[in-house]
Formats: sequence, C-alpha cells, structure tokens
Amino acid sequence: MPKYVAVRVLAVVPLLLAVAVISFGLVGLLELRGSAAEQILQEGATPEAVAKLEAQLGLDDPLPIRFVSWLGGAVRGDFGNSLLFSDASVGTLIGERIWPTLSIVAVGLIVGSLVGIAFGLASGLRPGGRVDRSLSVTSAVMIATPGFVLAIFLVIVFAVQLGWFEPTGYNWPGTDGWWAWLRSITLPGLALALPIVAVVSRQLRSSMTNALASRYVLAARARGLPSTHVVGRHAMRNAMIPTVTVIGFQAAGAIGLTVAIERVFALPGIGSLLVQAVSQRDIPVIQGSLIVATLLVAFVNLLVDLTYGWLNPRIRFE
Amino acid sequence: MTVWRRLLRNPLTVFGLVWIALLLVCFFAPGLLATHDPVRQDVTLTHLRETPNAEYWLGTDAYGRDLYSRVVWGGRLTVQAIVIALGIATAIGVPVGLFSGWRGGRTDRAIMWVVDVLFALPLILLALAIVGVLGTGLVPAMIAVGVLLSTRFARLTRGVTLAEREELYVDAAKISGLGSPTILVRYILPNLMPVLIVQVAIISAVILLVGAVLSFIGVGSPPDSYDWGAMLNQGREQILAFPYQVVPSAAAIVITILAFNLVGDGIRDAIGRSSAPPKRRPRRDAREPREQFEHPDDALLSISGLSVEFPGANGEVSCVLDGVSMSVGRGETVCVVGESGSGKSMTVLTALGLTPEPGRRTTGEIRFDGRDLTALSERQWRTIRGRRIGMIFQEPVAVLNPGLTVGAHLVETLRFHLDLDRKAARQRAIELLKLVRVPDPERRVHEYPHQFSGGMAQRVGIALALACDPVLLIADEPTTALDVTVQGQILELLEETQQELGMAMILITHDLGVVAEAADRVAVMYAGQVVETGTAAEVFGAPQHPYTQALLATMPQHHHGHDGELTVIPGVVPSPASWPAGCRFHPRCSEAIDACQNTHPPTGDDPERLVRCLRVHEIDPQPRAERGASDRNVVEEPS
Repeated sequence: MPKYVAVRVLAVVPLLLAVAVISFGLVGLLELRGSAAEQILQEGATPEAVAKLEAQLGLDDPLPIRFVSWLGGAVRGDFGNSLLFSDASVGTLIGERIWPTLSIVAVGLIVGSLVGIAFGLASGLRPGGRVDRSLSVTSAVMIATPGFVLAIFLVIVFAVQLGWFEPTGYNWPGTDGWWAWLRSITLPGLALALPIVAVVSRQLRSSMTNALASRYVLAARARGLPSTHVVGRHAMRNAMIPTVTVIGFQAAGAIGLTVAIERVFALPGIGSLLVQAVSQRDIPVIQGSLIVATLLVAFVNLLVDLTYGWLNPRIRFE
Repeated sequence: MTVWRRLLRNPLTVFGLVWIALLLVCFFAPGLLATHDPVRQDVTLTHLRETPNAEYWLGTDAYGRDLYSRVVWGGRLTVQAIVIALGIATAIGVPVGLFSGWRGGRTDRAIMWVVDVLFALPLILLALAIVGVLGTGLVPAMIAVGVLLSTRFARLTRGVTLAEREELYVDAAKISGLGSPTILVRYILPNLMPVLIVQVAIISAVILLVGAVLSFIGVGSPPDSYDWGAMLNQGREQILAFPYQVVPSAAAIVITILAFNLVGDGIRDAIGRSSAPPKRRPRRDAREPREQFEHPDDALLSISGLSVEFPGANGEVSCVLDGVSMSVGRGETVCVVGESGSGKSMTVLTALGLTPEPGRRTTGEIRFDGRDLTALSERQWRTIRGRRIGMIFQEPVAVLNPGLTVGAHLVETLRFHLDLDRKAARQRAIELLKLVRVPDPERRVHEYPHQFSGGMAQRVGIALALACDPVLLIADEPTTALDVTVQGQILELLEETQQELGMAMILITHDLGVVAEAADRVAVMYAGQVVETGTAAEVFGAPQHPYTQALLATMPQHHHGHDGELTVIPGVVPSPASWPAGCRFHPRCSEAIDACQNTHPPTGDDPERLVRCLRVHEIDPQPRAERGASDRNVVEEPS
C-alpha cells in the first residue's frame, strides 16, 4: 500500500507539467504571429507600454529559458504578477479567489456523490421498485442537463420566485457568518451536484445489480450471513469500485463547469478570474489559475485513486 | 440490417435520431425551418418579450427577435461546431490509436502515457485558456476542443486495435503478404466502426456542452449571437424581467444532449445484444403428472416433487425443474449426475432457499432434519445455511469476495454462527486452513483471493463450508474448474473430512469415476427431471434408463480395447424453453418408440429406485452407447 500511494502521488507531477507546457506553448504560439506584447495590448498601445509589458513578461529571453524560470517560481507558489489587476501577484489573486470555487466544488462533489450513492443503492437493491422507476425516467434528463443550465432555473425558482436564497453573490464565512456562507453556496453547489447524482446513482445501480448477482454474494448467503451484512460488506464494497472511478471523472467536469456556474451566481472564484483574465489576455493569471485548477482536479483524482486502492486490493499489488 | 431494425424498435433511439436529423436540416437549410429573420430586432417595440403564440412559436426576446428562428439558426452553429471538433478529434485520435495499438510495445506505452496525461486535464478550462490566448471565436475554440478530445478516440481505437491484432484473421492476412496499412484499413477499421460510432454520439454531446459553456461566458460566439450558449446568457440577463427567455435555448441544449446520449445508448444496446430471437416454448400438456413421495423417516434432507419456474419472454414461463425428488440420509453420500443444464445446481440451490432470481419454486416439499424448509423466514434460514448445511461451489475463486482477505471470510462466518470473539475466530480460521491442508496458514490467512490458485481457493471453500461443523455438505461440482492433478487431491480431502466429521454429502459431478468411488446412492438428472435413482450398485450394475446407460457408456473404462474411440451421447440437453413433449430424452434415445413422443413416462412406485422410462421393463439393464454401439463391456461392481 505505501508504494501504491507513492506512485499515485507522483502521477500528479506529469499532469501539472503538461499544463505548464501547454500554457507556455500558447505564448509561443502567440509569438509566432509577431510581438506578444503588442497583441496583448491590441491597437493603440504606446511604444512605452509595449516595452514595459515586454519587460514584465520577460519577453527578451528565449521561450525555454523563460519557461524554466517561470517553473522555478511556480514550484514555490510564485506565478508572477498580473498585467491588469494593478500588478497584484497572481498568487495573491488566486489565494483570494480559490475559496468560493473550493466551496461550491466541495459541496457539489460531496452532496452529489452521497445523494447519488443513496439513490443508486435504493434502486439497485429493489430493481423495478418506486425509487428505481422514478430514477430511470429522471436520470437520463438529469444527465443531459448541464449544471450551468440547471443553475439558471434554480435561480429563477428558488431565488427570484420563492426568494429563499439571494440570486447572486458570495458571503465570506469570516465576515458574514457561516450561515450566510452556506446560503450563498447552496444553489451553485446544487447545480453542480444534481447531474453528479444522476451519473453516480446510475452507475451504482448497475454495479450493485451485478454485485448482487455475483457468485461471492450467493456464497455469502449460502454461509447464512444476514442480508444487511451481505449487501453492506460484500456487494457494496465491490459495487463502489466502478462508482468511485465515475466520481473521479465527474471532478474534472465539475471544476470546468465552475467558470459558467460562477458567472450565473456572480461568484468571485477561480473560474470568473480565468474568464476575466482570458478576456483581457492577462497571461500570467491565465497560466496561474489553470495550474491551480488542474491541481484541484489532480487532488480529487488522487483521493479517488486512494479510495480505489483501498476498495480493490488487486490494484495495490500490481 | 438486423442492427438497424433493433435500433428502430426502440422509441427513445428513434426520437434521438429524428432530433439529430432535424439538426442536420438546421445545418443545411435553416431557412426551411425558420419563420423569421433570427437577428432582426423589432424597431416598433411592440413584440418584445412575448411568450409563445401563433406568430412567434417560441416567443420573442428582449429585442423582439423570434426565439424559434434563433434556435433553428443556432442549431446550424451547433452542428458546425460539432463537425469541426469531431473532425479534428477523429482525424488525430483514430490514426494515433491505430498506430499505437498496431506497433505495441514501447511506442505504445510512450504514446499512451501522453494521451493519459492529456485525458485527465480539465477540458473546459484548457479550451478557455487556449481561446483566451489565441483569440476568441467559435472556430478556434472548437479546434482546441477537437485536439483535446482526440485523446478519447486514441484510447478507444488503440484498445480495439490491440485486441484485433491478436486475432487469427490478422495473422492470416499478414502471412498472405498484405501490408500493415491494408490490414488496418481493410480488417481492423470495420471492427472498430461500431464502437467508434457510439463514441461519436457521446463525444458530440460533450462538444455541444463545451461549446455552450464557452459561448455562455462570452469567449465562443459573440455575445449577441444566436448560438445556444450565447442565447442562454442573453436570457440570463433578463432573469428578473422575463425569465421565460432562457427556456428555448436551455431546452435546445438539453434535448440535443439527450438525443445524442439516447442514440449512443441505443446503438450500444443494438450491437451488444445477442442476435438470437427468443425461442417459442412448445405447448406442454398441463396435466402432466407430478409424483410426490412420502418423505423417508430416516432422511436428513428430502426433496419431493420440486418444481421451479422462470418467467420467460412474452409472459410465458419456463419450468427448469419439474417434480424433482431425492433424499440423503445421515452420513450418506448421494451423487447427482447428468449433463450441464439438467438442473442439478438448481435443485440444491432451491433446497437452500437460494433459487436464482427471477426463478420461483412452484411446487414441492423440502424437509431437513424434520423441519419444513419451505416455510422458513430469512432469520430462521440463517440458523441452517452455513451452520448446519455447508455449501461448496464450482468456481472456487469467484465465490470469494475479491476485496476481503481469506481470513475475513472465515472469521465473519465463524463469528456470526458461533458467537466467537475476534481473536478466537482468527485462531479457529487458521486451524481450519490447517485442516484443509493450506500450507503456511498463519501467513495465508491474511492474503486476498486473487493470490490463491484454483486448488488452494477450493481448499478455502471447503474450510468455509466446514467452519461450523455442518451435518450436511453440498458440493456442486467442486473440481470441475480445477486442473486434473488437483482434482484428485480435492476429492480425497472431501472424502476424508466427511468421514472424519461424519457428515452427509450431496455431491454433484460430471465425473462418473468419482461417483463409482464415493457414492452410496445416485440420482441421475436430465432436462429438469430425475430420470433414475438407486444405490450406486444398482445404477452402475444394472442401469435401467437409456440415458443412464448412455452416460455410463461414455466412461473411459468402457472404451479400452475399442481403438480408444470415445463414445458420446449424440445431441445436447435442450434448453428449458424447448423441452420436447412426452419423454424429454426421446429425441436422443436409441430405444425410443413412437409412444415416447407423447406419453409422459411413469417413474414407478419406489422412491429409492425410480426409473422414468416408458420401456423400463423391455430394456436390457446395462450400460450402452447410443446408436447401435451396444453390448460392449461388463461393468465391474463399484467397490
């Protein structure tokens, strides 16, 4: 097991390196079409501004050298300075913006997985039962409804019509209190969670059905073990293996969707920072927030891999 | 052709296909469907924010633009985006996958490493960053998405190619001198197509989603565009004044993703399902006699007149067990023999109350040690299964939970039945492994099932069955899945422990040699019925049913001196849906007469010596091969 954990942790490194290379390669692509600084500042830029930007981006050096020095900084958490937010350091900007994103992604993934597991279990244990039948109808539509589309309807119904929540904005737990914080992330969290509920419950239903039909469950029943024990210890454990993988796949999607969800709820998160940076071509901020978002995806996937290894002893021995 | 027909039989798939066809019309001729100019604003300001009506089918937006026509034209942009991204994704992904899978080895590992890393990246964010640096617009965005999604096609293609490469027809093509490109195009690509089409449907939905997100946040299509994502954002801005405005574009996105998913699922099902149409069950005489016998007083387990039915297609039922009776006394060994599909396993599972779903016991009594097992509650069953009746299965590894150690299996069983504490249970588990001669039990008790060979796993299976000192052991073909060399050891172990502990045993087996050696009594099953019972001496020495005689003739010792020619019973056991009327064995029976085709053979009155044959008194009792190869050898009495 320790070796398995080490291998999984180290697997994050190439992922981050790939993002770094891609985000730097983009600057390289930009330079193929002429001066990057001029393109970023667009028409009407004064030569002084262009010169200043070139110095700030370090554009005098060749690309590989810039990459190495940027990487050296990034490892220490220094992603350079923003071009626009009055020269604020990218690290500081991200440090402020990470919390709203972390909050809604955590709520979305945790609530989505837990509710999905509950529904999947209920329908897998009683195929054709009430939960199963209502789920088989709704889950196809729920899977087809992207979180940000759902978000708009959640706002219309629960914020505009019913007035239970504020339609937009983020409340900081430190200044506004925990209750206000929870209220402000409920709807965005739910928008991320519901499609996950559909995917997870569908997966667990099918793997639970398979597990219950397996020989080891039959054998456990033939040994006279009580059915709660057979389901809980024997069937559930194995049915969770593919389900955990599916939850991992959902993580990247959920983190990607935050760019749209944060726009719907006007949340000051990494997603909206990235959108802002993209519209202004604030390259250091783009690179920094891309790295941090990938780190987040990699972290969730690491948790998933470790759970997977815990559930499935075979993988630990490979 | 049949795949198409199956595809079109599913209404959901048809819905998806029709929707996609409509989208294609939007792409090629949006003017055909649209009723208004999608961008013309209402300068008179009289038709702003209308809900659906006869003139504006889906209403109008805040600028008085017709939402229906905008959705139609937006469909054109959607198809355009999908075509670009999909084209790039397949154009890169499929060749890379083909190359990687075909070359294999180090090249394959290197390529797949890169693909796996790209696969794990957050697609939307990466596409966003690429668009941000290189300039906004739907086309550059979709090029980026296409490049990133090519990893999906590369993985899929590589997997299929790797598998197909090992196929014999590929070897044959190589030997006949065809070059790699020809083989790839002519042989592997056609096998790849079905999975590729399913993937195309799924990925189309992903592309639509990413495109909609990018336009929604304003970096795909321009903000005032009729792109569905952009329309959704325009609606979002009207969320207080006119919430309805988001509905048409939201519905378009959701229904289109749904359509792609439905088509993908439909194709997968249509390809995946076996092409055999459901067989129609021949009409069976409802008044078929079902014998029931008195339970013998001294029997430990007795089964009488047991029938099990399964619901089949079209509301018909198929009867997989039909009036099965057998019994086993204390300390006795009863062997159940018969070809695969004759209902042997079904009989013992039903006796334990574990009839596989959706099967149902319709008639019959099961008594164990004086108790009626058919009336037990789930709680009462637990005092019998595993405690008083131990069961050994055919697949020794599959019956162990892959996620639990071997010790955990033993400990849970011991603790549940015998009220032991954890330490005592673990001690007992090690003793049990020692009893079934697993070497180094202190270490192996901590190991997982996949670390056990078949033979060792079956020893664990025996230990589990013996854990609580049962009075009856049921062994369902315990050696079938094992190597020949191990089979003998396992059977020896079974017999020894049975004698040591004085248990009764029901042993299901194909191996007549084992029966001759181990059985006190024998039950021969065919097509869901017991066709002959008797003591081992009776059944082996004077078999009366033609099926028993034919089975015995297939035993290897009946062949010596006959050029080693192996006798087989012609034909196979029919499936429960197509059991013949009359005697079920008559189509394969060399002794059959016309009456066998429509008369249910009686079984006689003696439950200890049943023979289910119409001609029982006319047939010479001896083992014989079918189709004329009769009177071959004298069978020696089993010792």
